[in-house]
Amino acid sequence: MKKVLVVLLAVLGLAGLALAQTTVRVGVLLPISTVAGKAALNGVQLGVDQVNAGGKVKIELVVVDDGNAPAAAVPALTKLMTVDRVDIVIGGLASGVTFALSGPVKQYNPLFLCIGAASSVVEQAFSDYGRFFHYHPWDYHNVAAALGFFKALYDEGARRVAILYEDGPFGSAGIQTYRQQLQNQGYTVQAEPFKSGSGSFTAILTRFKSFRPDILYWIGYDVDALPIAAQTRQVGLEPKLIYGAPPAWPLGFEKNSLSNDVAGMTAWLPSVSNSESRRFVTLYRRKYGEVTDEYMAPMGYVIALSLGRAVEAANSTDKDRIAAELAKVQMDTPFGPLAFKPSDTGRTRFQGFNQSIWLQFQYLEGSRRPVFPANRAARPLRFPGNY
Amino acid sequence: MELLLQTLINGILAAGIYALVASGLALAVGVVGIVNFAHGEFSMIGAFVSYLLFVSAGIDPLISLGLAALVLFSVGAITYYGLIRPVLAAPELNQMLLTFGISVALQNIALLVFGADTRVVSTSYQGSTIALGSISFGVPPFAAFVLSVALLGALYWFLGKTRLGFAVRAVAQNRLAPGLLGIETQQIYLLAFGLSAALAGVAGVMLSVMLYASPTVGFAYTLKAFAIIVMAGLGNLRGVVPAAIILALAEAVVSTYVPGGGGWVEAVFFLVIFVALTWRSWRVR
Repeated sequence: MKKVLVVLLAVLGLAGLALAQTTVRVGVLLPISTVAGKAALNGVQLGVDQVNAGGKVKIELVVVDDGNAPAAAVPALTKLMTVDRVDIVIGGLASGVTFALSGPVKQYNPLFLCIGAASSVVEQAFSDYGRFFHYHPWDYHNVAAALGFFKALYDEGARRVAILYEDGPFGSAGIQTYRQQLQNQGYTVQAEPFKSGSGSFTAILTRFKSFRPDILYWIGYDVDALPIAAQTRQVGLEPKLIYGAPPAWPLGFEKNSLSNDVAGMTAWLPSVSNSESRRFVTLYRRKYGEVTDEYMAPMGYVIALSLGRAVEAANSTDKDRIAAELAKVQMDTPFGPLAFKPSDTGRTRFQGFNQSIWLQFQYLEGSRRPVFPANRAARPLRFPGNY
Repeated sequence: MELLLQTLINGILAAGIYALVASGLALAVGVVGIVNFAHGEFSMIGAFVSYLLFVSAGIDPLISLGLAALVLFSVGAITYYGLIRPVLAAPELNQMLLTFGISVALQNIALLVFGADTRVVSTSYQGSTIALGSISFGVPPFAAFVLSVALLGALYWFLGKTRLGFAVRAVAQNRLAPGLLGIETQQIYLLAFGLSAALAGVAGVMLSVMLYASPTVGFAYTLKAFAIIVMAGLGNLRGVVPAAIILALAEAVVSTYVPGGGGWVEAVFFLVIFVALTWRSWRVR
């Protein structure tokens, strides 16, 4: 009789738990063949594990590849909305892809949790969409963070900046503003466009030689990193700092001696010493057996955790109730505190992070080390660098 | 004057890798009669062979040149035997669509296997410089130039001094007559297509040192190679090196002397194709 009672109680307990648990299906739309996309997916899955382990919320993921291209992303989103019938989508890593998704998203009306897409063109595109939560800083936040670093370099004696910018939307969109802001700081600026992926920089770098730049600043893609680092040496340019701003760095670049002293900007590194970051690193290592330094991994993790909190607070699968709770979320993350506010331009209502999450790093002895701002630096900036 | 000299050297050294890619393409066009849109993807395979040997066994890319050439010769031979040979008698449009399909397929296979990320090898000489007074240039582009000259010299010697080379040239000039003289046309095609792919593979190894390995690394060079063989005259191997030098010099001059010229570099080779084709059409009137 006792045994029967115990079993009955256990069954009732489990049934009660199941009743109390809110289950939501979430579409994940990421470029999973890229390092950043894979890292983001790993982070989302790690966060979902945490949420599901709590027992009150169960998140089920439906993962699709956006192919890092609008032509693949739009049908993938359509499938999520019409076949898998999800109400919530995590995605939007690349700006170009996310911009292309703005129309279909408005057509199907999901709660769209945007992990990347820094371009303010995307901000404009989603300006009239109330279910758009943008976690990543916007491009003007990126510029503000970089300018803070350049201000510090000016104080160190840097006066001339040579800017190499790729001639597509990514590199050339804000170049005039950027140039003006650097000039306002007191810099003399010379800027030249280039064709990303061409590998041909010797001519432009040769022309820069007469300008004798203190800083060589390139705005381009991962494919340009090694040719620029190599050809800067080959033409004898000898800047005091090579500073790059690609969305991702090439695999193995840190092992190449040409990367030494090259600086750049990221939102997070495993060496960032706050408790949430350390916790994330531990959990990530436990699940995947390695540590990543792609900041899209903790970004995905943060999105999943914040969504879990919102679903729990809403106690509902209704996307508008979840959105209302998500707007109130305040939590510590590996990047620092997260709370949603209207964007600085006022175009979108729910902006997560701003320029405060960015930190400057330098490739030193085979890995990326935070060097600026001082309160987050693991090592002092090597300036002038040895190129 | 110093800037001009540096610009000329930059241009001439850049011509090395262009000539290496374009000579393989010219061989395929001139001998087999195939406009191979997948030629850049053969270079991409060469770049990945170099990368894989480097990360798995620490083999320096310059040492893996020979192996990459062998691998790509095999890939080219298999591609010819399995895919190209059946369409040799088909209309040219079918052939071009086939090679375009091979290009897309190879790129997507690379995407599936390696992902879309850029990968770099690490050697001690990538940033090395040779300085001659105030003029300086990198060791890798210089090595690529020397390698190109040596390989193309060997290729010209092979075509001009050996019986097999004579056979290749005979087949290039007339598809039917060499068969009547006992030359195995199909074997010559196989050899030429394999050599074409091997040259692309060697170029790919150099690209892995100078640039990176990625599924799209060969694409830009295929476009330039097309511009070069159009300027040289389709299938004219001897015209490849001068055409490569002209194209590379034009790019270097535009980059250096035209304000914002870095963004105009890609337009140079389209202009070259346009001018070459227009000039030819006027000449044959």
